[in-house]
Amino acid sequence: MMQWAGAMLVLFAGTMIGFMQAARFAARPRQIRQLLHALQRLETEIQYGQTPLPAALSRLSGIVPPPVSGLFAEISADLSVRSGITVRESWERAIEAGWSRTAMKRPEREALARLGATLGGSGREDQLKHVRLAMLQLQAEEAAARDEQQRYEKMSRSLGMLGAALVVILML
Amino acid sequence: MAPTLPDLFVHPLRGVLERLPAHAGATLEEIRVRENRPLEIGYAGRHSFVRPDGTLTTEYRQAYSPGREDCRALLERVTNHSLYAVEEELRRGYITVGGGHRVGLAGRAVLDRGAVAHLRDIGGFNVRIARARTGCASDLLPGILDLPARTVKHTLIVSPPQQGKTTLLRDLVRSVSAGEWHHPAAAGWGGRKVGVVDERSEIAACEAGVPTFDLGPRCDVLDACPKAEGIMMMIRSLSPDVVAVDEIGRPEDAAALREALHAGVRVLATAHASGLEDLFARPVLSGLAEEGVFGAYVFLARTGSKVEHRIVSAENAAREIKARPKPAIRSPDSLPAERRGL
Repeated sequence: MMQWAGAMLVLFAGTMIGFMQAARFAARPRQIRQLLHALQRLETEIQYGQTPLPAALSRLSGIVPPPVSGLFAEISADLSVRSGITVRESWERAIEAGWSRTAMKRPEREALARLGATLGGSGREDQLKHVRLAMLQLQAEEAAARDEQQRYEKMSRSLGMLGAALVVILML
Repeated sequence: MAPTLPDLFVHPLRGVLERLPAHAGATLEEIRVRENRPLEIGYAGRHSFVRPDGTLTTEYRQAYSPGREDCRALLERVTNHSLYAVEEELRRGYITVGGGHRVGLAGRAVLDRGAVAHLRDIGGFNVRIARARTGCASDLLPGILDLPARTVKHTLIVSPPQQGKTTLLRDLVRSVSAGEWHHPAAAGWGGRKVGVVDERSEIAACEAGVPTFDLGPRCDVLDACPKAEGIMMMIRSLSPDVVAVDEIGRPEDAAALREALHAGVRVLATAHASGLEDLFARPVLSGLAEEGVFGAYVFLARTGSKVEHRIVSAENAAREIKARPKPAIRSPDSLPAERRGL
């Protein structure tokens, strides 16, 4: 009896691990897409609204769901409290603190960090170029992430369950 | 240090400025930050360099010299982390920050088809501290009243930079809109509607559309609006009795002022010039003066922290100019605008 219960637990845990892995594969392209949405909005804010960066970022945090929104909210809050921090510093700090909450990987992080190093520091045309460059990079990453999702999402789900089944068989 | 220090400076520059002697801090007028060059302040009409411990010195070699990071952080603060949003201000060379403090900028000009598009590589800042001196116009106001018309004369306040033109104009606006005429015959007049066209955001220092300086109860402000256009908008839509503008000097300003005149609106304006002769030598201003647009001129002279004013009526000004011998050589600038083909 105990044995069966243990087996069920192992099976359940294995399946769950597989599902979580699959969810990460599904979340990455989705979050990159949200990030792209946000940057698109930032482009508009810079080009037409000429909104100051703290206000623009806090608006961005309103249009995308968490955890991506958290990044922008944090930078915006950091800049608004006037602690004398530069955009680059607060941007790096926010990415450092909040990145692990997202499903995104290294290339996206680098693209975003590069953008943060230039944001607010030059004229409008220049800023738009930087934002567009970051968007291009993110679009490439999104395609790669979708590819990965198609390839590995189902696989990791079945792999979790099958792996657990293997453990159970070996144990029985 | 007085709380007037704008919330712009960050450590370590802020630390230096916070340790300034009390008398300098209380009368601070300018903070000049130049990258890798000595930190300088202007106070009570004097200038001084600042040592790293905040004490003042005339020896510039001992002064604190702000570094690249200091300037970078200051620029971010001044532009609210958004250089792209202040391109228009960069084109004009200054940014007005919260509290009406004006930050003049020096850097490398970026040209677009021959005209300055904006500035880059900014390495020099001149932070001018704005102060409200409530009551500083009370001695002056009785002298520029137009008693039969129960209002003020068209008045031009004239002085070189840094003598307190804007401060005086601000208090004039407040007095007129509050009805503090300081004249026995004007006791029952009440306040007048005043429209302020605040192109440089210095008079009212609006934040989100609301003036941060006290401009009295009957005052409307067109913030950051070009003067010529603003005067016309004001007259059309806000029905002011008196219009106040800062630093006139361009031909289109003159055209708008004439328009205001014929619309039955009184004008309070300021201009840069060192005296009557200078005033009549500036093309646009001389045009206005010769037409007799202004009813009174106010000249400011400053010794230390005391500002003295001299009121000259239009007739006296014309007489005074005629009485003087003309300079032998006239620079092309002193010719009337139409003769220079403008």
